[in-house]
Amino acid sequence: MSVETYLEDGELTHRAWSAALREDVLLGERCADCDHVTAAPKAACARCGSQDTAVIELQTEGTVYAETTVFVAPAAFSDAEPYGVALIDIGDARIMAHIDGDAAVGDAVAFRGTVEQDDSPAPLFGPADD
Amino acid sequence: MTRASVVGVGMTKFGTHDITLAELFAEAALPALDDAGVGRGDVDALYFGNTLGGMTENDTHLAPKVATHTGFGRIPAQRFEDACATSTNAFKHAVQAVENGIHDVVLVGGVEKCTPVTGIDTPEMTRIFVSAADRQYEQPTGITFPGVFALMTKRHMEQYGTTEEQLAEIAVKNHAHGTHNPRAHFGKDTSIEAVLDSPLVVDPFHLMDCCPFSDGGSAAVVVSDEYADSFDAPVDVTGLGHGTDLVPVSDKADPLATQAARDAAERAYDQAGITAGEVDFCEVHDCFTGAEVLATEALGFVEDGEGGPAAAAGRTALGGDIPVNPSGGLKAKGHPIGATGTAQIVELTEQLRDEAGDRQVESPSVGLAHNLGGDTGSAFVTTMEERA
Repeated sequence: MSVETYLEDGELTHRAWSAALREDVLLGERCADCDHVTAAPKAACARCGSQDTAVIELQTEGTVYAETTVFVAPAAFSDAEPYGVALIDIGDARIMAHIDGDAAVGDAVAFRGTVEQDDSPAPLFGPADD
Repeated sequence: MTRASVVGVGMTKFGTHDITLAELFAEAALPALDDAGVGRGDVDALYFGNTLGGMTENDTHLAPKVATHTGFGRIPAQRFEDACATSTNAFKHAVQAVENGIHDVVLVGGVEKCTPVTGIDTPEMTRIFVSAADRQYEQPTGITFPGVFALMTKRHMEQYGTTEEQLAEIAVKNHAHGTHNPRAHFGKDTSIEAVLDSPLVVDPFHLMDCCPFSDGGSAAVVVSDEYADSFDAPVDVTGLGHGTDLVPVSDKADPLATQAARDAAERAYDQAGITAGEVDFCEVHDCFTGAEVLATEALGFVEDGEGGPAAAAGRTALGGDIPVNPSGGLKAKGHPIGATGTAQIVELTEQLRDEAGDRQVESPSVGLAHNLGGDTGSAFVTTMEERA
């Protein structure tokens, strides 16, 4: 399926990004002017302000930039066992994701699907060699 | 250059206060007026900060409410919200107002209740605190507010070799400072072992690496440079820089730089005509021990990567090269979100007046306050100097 089928009036809204994510398609935007790639779509490039951004499909494998294990969780996650959250470099983009399993800085990880909180999905990543 | 002067300060003890937001603010604001020696009729405007009241207590439109409660019902009153940097943004606007001749005398301050007196338990308060993180692209991952700083700190540990023991040294140092501050939430010493043995909140932060949930209020009376000479003990605001960085964290060019703080510091130093080396002491935003490491690096007191070793070597303790958080900081003094910024201004003012008692820095001329909001997306750096 092409990226365009998810867009709303040609725009990558949060609803469109979420719909794609739930079908295991990780979408982002690349700035035509400064090349910044974001995994969190916006009305303009966050780095340079350009509105000339293109919707792209992001890589699904990457490297852990930073990770942590959450022991004291917010209400929606407080029944869960301690869990990981990481910032992951996927190609030219960086994304925050929920972690399935163990992942340390520098580890290779891969996109595995989603977790849901209050009807909002978040990307789920896990060790690449699982 | 003097942009404005602080002529009176007041704050409550930080800790647990089971009274209303307006009542708590009055306990800081009225002493600030008394300290300045001004009456209600002398105050031209209220610049006020509160962050969570709408979420925790269904209490908004607070500026006219607290103005009414403290007897200022008819002066222009406005409320600011920028997460943990809330009341320094109110202070910034107060400084600009007197600097530009809009008002002569402004009361500025903030108030917050975060402890269980709100009726809110830890998981729910943890949810409310993470409201400052990106709603769509961060909150659904299960990140927490301590978690945002934990990610930056874990990366710092990997990149520079910062250790858990160095982080614990910062908690120990700030607790030691807090023992000399009668208004501190925690007035007791702690130890490296006690920090490392306390339960993990979010790796690498143990409970004792984290500031507490606190209730409290703080306030300052701000006047113009010209007007300040008619007061007994004015302390001058010589620089006040405001920086903003991208949210979410994943879009920041270098999360470890806390670039908003670097931008704010550069602006403040430039306005004051000073360098980092001329600062005698500082109050920084140590919401977590790792945040103090990032702050001392961003402000230029140590090289990048040296924040942990500098703390462990005692360079940031009272009596060291650059005393950091003589008040005990957020870690020991406490962190009632919307009151934290002006509480830093209270500490700078008292230190520069040589009125800080057992936590007094030796004859300081220049003090600096560093207040972050959210995931470091907002930052304010204020420099203050004794009036020549």
